[in-house]
Amino acid sequence: MNISSVIFKSTVLATCIFWIVIMSQGFQNYMIPLVFLSMIPISICCAITIFLTIVPFFWVRRGELVDEFDGRNRIIFKKYFPFYAIVSFSLCLYGIVESIFAISFFVSAFFTTMQSWVWLAKDNEKQNN
Amino acid sequence: MKNIPLLIGAFLFSIFFYQQDIGLNLSLFSLLTIIILAIYNKDLFKKKSTIIFSIVFIITAITIFFFRSILTIVAYVVAFLTLIGNVSKQGSSVYVNWLNGLYTSIAAFFHRNFNTTEKDEKVTPKQKTDYLHLIKIIGIPLITVIIFIALYKNGNPMFSELISKIDFGFINIQWLLFSVLGYYLLSNISKPVIVDPATTYDLNNGNSLSRERDFIVEKIKKENQLGFILIALLNVLIVIFLITDITYLISTNDLRASAISNQVHNGINTLIASILIAIIIILYFFRGDLNFYKGNKNLKTVTYVWIVLNLLLIINIVIKDCQYIYYFGFTYKRIGVLIYLLLTIIGLLTTLIKVKQIKNFWYLFRVNTLTAFTILIISSTINWDNYITHYNLNYAQSMDFNYLLDLSDNNTFLLKNYADKNNLTAERKSLIEKKYKAYLIELESKKWQEIQYDNFKLNKD
Repeated sequence: MNISSVIFKSTVLATCIFWIVIMSQGFQNYMIPLVFLSMIPISICCAITIFLTIVPFFWVRRGELVDEFDGRNRIIFKKYFPFYAIVSFSLCLYGIVESIFAISFFVSAFFTTMQSWVWLAKDNEKQNN
Repeated sequence: MKNIPLLIGAFLFSIFFYQQDIGLNLSLFSLLTIIILAIYNKDLFKKKSTIIFSIVFIITAITIFFFRSILTIVAYVVAFLTLIGNVSKQGSSVYVNWLNGLYTSIAAFFHRNFNTTEKDEKVTPKQKTDYLHLIKIIGIPLITVIIFIALYKNGNPMFSELISKIDFGFINIQWLLFSVLGYYLLSNISKPVIVDPATTYDLNNGNSLSRERDFIVEKIKKENQLGFILIALLNVLIVIFLITDITYLISTNDLRASAISNQVHNGINTLIASILIAIIIILYFFRGDLNFYKGNKNLKTVTYVWIVLNLLLIINIVIKDCQYIYYFGFTYKRIGVLIYLLLTIIGLLTTLIKVKQIKNFWYLFRVNTLTAFTILIISSTINWDNYITHYNLNYAQSMDFNYLLDLSDNNTFLLKNYADKNNLTAERKSLIEKKYKAYLIELESKKWQEIQYDNFKLNKD
């Protein structure tokens, strides 16, 4: 499983969403260096979230589904992703309701976690094939 | 080309909701949702259940147009999820519809990455999008139309004036992002997906219990004895409770609000605990083989008696609550108690059916969630603020005037009408006038997306 590439892609995606939402409220020139600087904390957040909340599903279930050739990740994805998506959505919605100023953070968190699932599952699928 | 309805839908979504409050826009959005669902799922809209859930969804949208409240908004959201869930899988239970509806609305776009089966892939190989053609059919007509508009503008002052009135000033980055959100939502619901393990499990499990091939009679016999003794004792206990409670109800003359309130609330707490334990105990004993044991007649009889006694307990609380309402008027809490009692009666009756007709736990869950959904929809079609105000002003023996003022604006016209026709104290009149004026300002400031039924009343006046 190539987790580092997934973390890199997630960081780029999260940074894009985060700053697009912020810049839609008003663009300032000083924001440009901040975009690049923010990639450091964003990458840490992405790495922690992916390692702690998504990767374990693939690791734990991997051994149990050895017999399922290329559909292994599809099974894991279909079984766990719906509930993960609902929990993630609920937490992000709660965050937005509690603090509308953090909307960019929670919107990027939701979409990035969703897409990270797809990347991880597809990455594993490729490796299995 | 197949995305054009979604693009138009996203554009309309932004027009309806961007920086707008709730009103007419929710009714328009419900129509948009049904159109999008019908375009992408034509066959499903021939099914009775989908048509019924669509009508329910439209009804909840119309109720918001007539009288907006938290209840109507909750009913609207639940009806939306139910409809989407129903389109995602026909024949599944209401609670699975909610799960599928929620999942579809928030993450179907991502789920579709893994949705194609090998069979689908073989039958319909994915065609490559001809982007050049797409650019041609959008770009060339657009540029040509713009050139001709510029030409005609110079040739006709009236046309020029008409064109200059078109204002696209509302389009900005935030508006575009909002449109993307609208596109995401509509794209999600256009092809609903399912939460696979839950939906399959629901579809594969019927309502009836099936008998195991060989059960140990001795073990079942012991369980039957235990169940009989336990439920018989609980019957005796509930009879004593009912006798003392009814005696107190008949003998007491204490009509203070606090006294009746205490009685109702204590009764409700007792009831909640009693009904929950009753259903859990019944579900435990009738979970499996005991249903098919020939000697279970006595256990079934005491169970029916216990359910009937619990129903009597509910009737007792209903009487107390009605007494409370008669003397001190309606409040949301008192109505909530009545609705809870109604749900409890249905819950007990379905438990009785479960025992009598040997149904499983899922039967109870299915029927009761469907009942709760129906009651939610029906109760959302009632303008409670208006009814509470009407009853309390005209029929209640005494009432809390400030409570009526604190209700939503749905009762403002009624209060104003009452103040005009009756002799109220100057203070009360001024409070009503203040509420009325604030509401008028709010109604007048509404944009076309936000208008509601009361705006038309305003125009009549």
